[in-house]
Amino acid sequence: MKIGDQIQNLGMRVGAIQVIAFVLLAVLGARLYYLQIVRGEYFSERAENQRVRLIPIPAPRGAIFDRNGKLLVDSRPTYNVVLSNEPLKSINVIDRVDDYSHGLNLDRQFVVERLNLIKKQNDFETMVLKENVAMQDIAWVESHSLEFPELRVELQPQRFYPLGTTLAHVLGYVGEISPKQLEEETFKSRGFRPGDIIGKGGLEQYYDEFLRGKPGYRKVLVDSRGRVQTELEVVAPQSGQDLVTTIDLDLQLEAEHQLATSVTKRGTVIAMDPNNGEMLAMASAPSFDPNIFVRGSSSPDGRRQIAAYWQDEKRPLYNRAIQGRYPPGSTWKIPESAAALQQGAITVVHSNLACGGGIKVGSKFTRCMGSHGSPALPYAITKSCDGYYYRLGLKMGVEGLIKMIETFGFDRRSGIDLPNEKVPQTPKSWMPYILKNEGKWSDIRTVYASIGQDTVVVTPISMLRAVASVGMRGKEFIPHFLKQFKPVSAVGQEGDINYIPARAGFAYQHPEPKLIELAPDQWDLVIKGMWGVVNGGGTAGSIKMADLEIAGKTGTAQVAEVGKDVGANKDHSWFVSFAPAYKPEISVIALIENSGFGASNAGPAARGVYQAYLQKHPRASEERVAK
Amino acid sequence: MVAIIEKRDLRDFDWPTALLALTISAFGVWQIHNALPTESYWSKQILGIGIALVAFLVVAFNDYRRIIDAAPVFYIAGLVMLFLVLTPLGVQVNGQKAWLKLPVVGQFQPSEFVKIPTVLMLAKYFGARKAKSLSLREMLIGGAIFAGPVSLIILEPDAGQAITYFPILAAMFFLSGIKVRYVVLAVVAAAIFIPAAWHFGVKSGAIKRYQQERILAITDPDSVDPRGYGYHTIQSTITVGKGGLTGIKGETETSQSVLKFLPEPHTDFIFAVTAENTGFIGCVSLLLAYALLLSRMIAGAREASDRAGMLVIMAIVCGMVFQIFMNVGMALGVLPVIGVPLPLMSAGLSAILSTFVAIGFVISVKLRRFVN
Repeated sequence: MKIGDQIQNLGMRVGAIQVIAFVLLAVLGARLYYLQIVRGEYFSERAENQRVRLIPIPAPRGAIFDRNGKLLVDSRPTYNVVLSNEPLKSINVIDRVDDYSHGLNLDRQFVVERLNLIKKQNDFETMVLKENVAMQDIAWVESHSLEFPELRVELQPQRFYPLGTTLAHVLGYVGEISPKQLEEETFKSRGFRPGDIIGKGGLEQYYDEFLRGKPGYRKVLVDSRGRVQTELEVVAPQSGQDLVTTIDLDLQLEAEHQLATSVTKRGTVIAMDPNNGEMLAMASAPSFDPNIFVRGSSSPDGRRQIAAYWQDEKRPLYNRAIQGRYPPGSTWKIPESAAALQQGAITVVHSNLACGGGIKVGSKFTRCMGSHGSPALPYAITKSCDGYYYRLGLKMGVEGLIKMIETFGFDRRSGIDLPNEKVPQTPKSWMPYILKNEGKWSDIRTVYASIGQDTVVVTPISMLRAVASVGMRGKEFIPHFLKQFKPVSAVGQEGDINYIPARAGFAYQHPEPKLIELAPDQWDLVIKGMWGVVNGGGTAGSIKMADLEIAGKTGTAQVAEVGKDVGANKDHSWFVSFAPAYKPEISVIALIENSGFGASNAGPAARGVYQAYLQKHPRASEERVAK
Repeated sequence: MVAIIEKRDLRDFDWPTALLALTISAFGVWQIHNALPTESYWSKQILGIGIALVAFLVVAFNDYRRIIDAAPVFYIAGLVMLFLVLTPLGVQVNGQKAWLKLPVVGQFQPSEFVKIPTVLMLAKYFGARKAKSLSLREMLIGGAIFAGPVSLIILEPDAGQAITYFPILAAMFFLSGIKVRYVVLAVVAAAIFIPAAWHFGVKSGAIKRYQQERILAITDPDSVDPRGYGYHTIQSTITVGKGGLTGIKGETETSQSVLKFLPEPHTDFIFAVTAENTGFIGCVSLLLAYALLLSRMIAGAREASDRAGMLVIMAIVCGMVFQIFMNVGMALGVLPVIGVPLPLMSAGLSAILSTFVAIGFVISVKLRRFVN
């Protein structure tokens, strides 16, 4: 050091600065070593994760057909204009409101709502701004892509129900998985994510895993604002399997027509092939339009319509065939008669019981609508003699009735392939409550239960299954809509990580029918009575058909006490049946809510379906008429 | 001040230092290109380096002693410029009024240049004093010289730039014989005062949330919003780490800066770009180049013919070390995000110009190491 050698250790001080400088640089070097050499791979991966994104390509859902190949449900491509929230972060959204509402012809208020919503969403999420857009909207978005980078047109296959309200309860609808469902283990374990479309209600829900396809994806490079820079890879989706149902659309339309032209326009008509449980028709009125659920939940108008469905007192969303529980009234006498014979309460030779115009239990007299002397079983069925069944019920006892309930399956679900089926309520299920509250099961309850009132409410589907099994002389099939699922071929090359294997087609696996053991002459006796209801001067003589002998039973289920209310709470009208009487091909039951007498309302509704059936399956009348 | 270049000047000229600085700045141009290949920052930087070289030669071949004699003129001019920044002539960028737009000259950042007059002024004052321990009076006068520009810069407000002035004062005090016990005292005081100030600042709300987040992003990166202030630190760390041993080998289209994950890649985060593109090897080479450059400058200080010349070089050295450490430390996620340019590397005319002028002084001092 030339200067200041004599003072203040200047050389040492400069040296100290030099040492500090080198130490600082060495610290930086050490940190570099840690970041780049020790953790280099970790950061490479993080960088990769933030710049590579998988954009799912939704898979088309399987279509649904009727038994003759008529299209019931389809998916069609729609284009949506979606908003991404990343580019919006740095924008004052209010500036965009007028542009969007003019350019896309949207309500200003709606645009404001959407913009406020998307601001609250997580990064990289998108939101539909306008659904099902036309060509001119697509052109507008494309031509303004520089100005509004946050807008994008996305292809989305949308579920479409071409028949509208027809079959709505059976088909169900699809919608976005709800936050609540996402929490559930069944959905979590299968890897569902927010925004996934799933079946809600009906066959869409029951067979969701087969109808649903496997989504593909686009692997893309994005910048820090989430804008796609280049496409790296495309993996095609695999569409879902097509479902062929057992439904006969013509019968379905007829069933719905019958309900639509009924007095109250509320009720259900169901038809089944009793030989195998194939459901031919299931109508429930009033109905709803599933398209509103598919399209609607994201628009204020759609939300309003959906809310209206939920609030409607007539409950259009509810499938009366499997969720409605009604007192069966006199239709209950059919399984009861078969059970009485099976249990030996009556025999084929000695089936007569007094009518007596009614019965006195304790101090209360419960009357029969007619005076039938001391009829045998077929006549009691044909004329629907209540007096006969009061005595039969007492003879069987409530234990006998409970046994009958078990024999005909009124204590369980029918097993139909639809979600949310209700179980009937019967003396079996009521017994514990009655014993707890009243101390004993009184005879009057047995009397009421013998004619399907008071402690008995059943679902129409459970009634159909029981009545059809009588027609089949004890063979009880599980009702079902599935005929077959069609196969889908594989996607991609085998061995590839993105390979999706083929999905095999399959048909409904019929379990062995349950057998209800009765002697042939015992079945004859019950069926003879039912034949008489329509063909032998019985309660439904008015619906007799020349070419098809229907075996049936009317029912008039009391809603209020007799004579108390004939207005809104009028009796439910039932008709249960199968035809031809001695070799059934089809079993139809009808229930018209609050319409009054069974024969005059439900009977004709069932007859309409038989007529439609007859038209489709014309055959020599001898084959269908009793010898 | 016309430069009369004599034969002796060319012989004694410190070629290695000049070439080292030029090499680093050329390497910087390449990284600026890597950062934003589609934009013209790299070509503007070449132009900047060209202008800077002219200024560098002018300074280098002039006698620094004459310039130091004129220091008060430069110093006053500097203060005027800093004052003008605060007037409507100043240009606001990103909420900071750090720029001055003048006719002909164009837009520039006075706080970058005023470092030089400040160094000269301090060197003039401290260089003239006698060889004894620093007195309190001398410290106050030095502090006052320093406070002029720094307080104007804080008013802009540009805390990042202001901080880069402190090493200059520290170097002046330390090399003017401040008692070692004062140095120890200052270090101890800082160790106590800074955490205490943090604690009370956070509690009282004097340190704003975004300021806290810049610090927390270092100490606890998971606690801050990764899209907010932590974002810079997180993205810079990812970018550096991604570089690995040898860098991304030209795959710039998927680089962090091109995809805009890394903010300010050509200025504040140029080191992260370097790390991504050239890897550990490139970064360590760059740090070694800096070490070599600083060593040569310090060697020049040791050979300086007078005290003022030594002080000028060492103040510049301290300023540079400090800026390198702040900038690279920020890119490596060990220091908070403060907008300090990396000397010779960051894009920016003002910065490259003032750095080359500073190195010009170093060379000028070295040229006159032989007392006439």
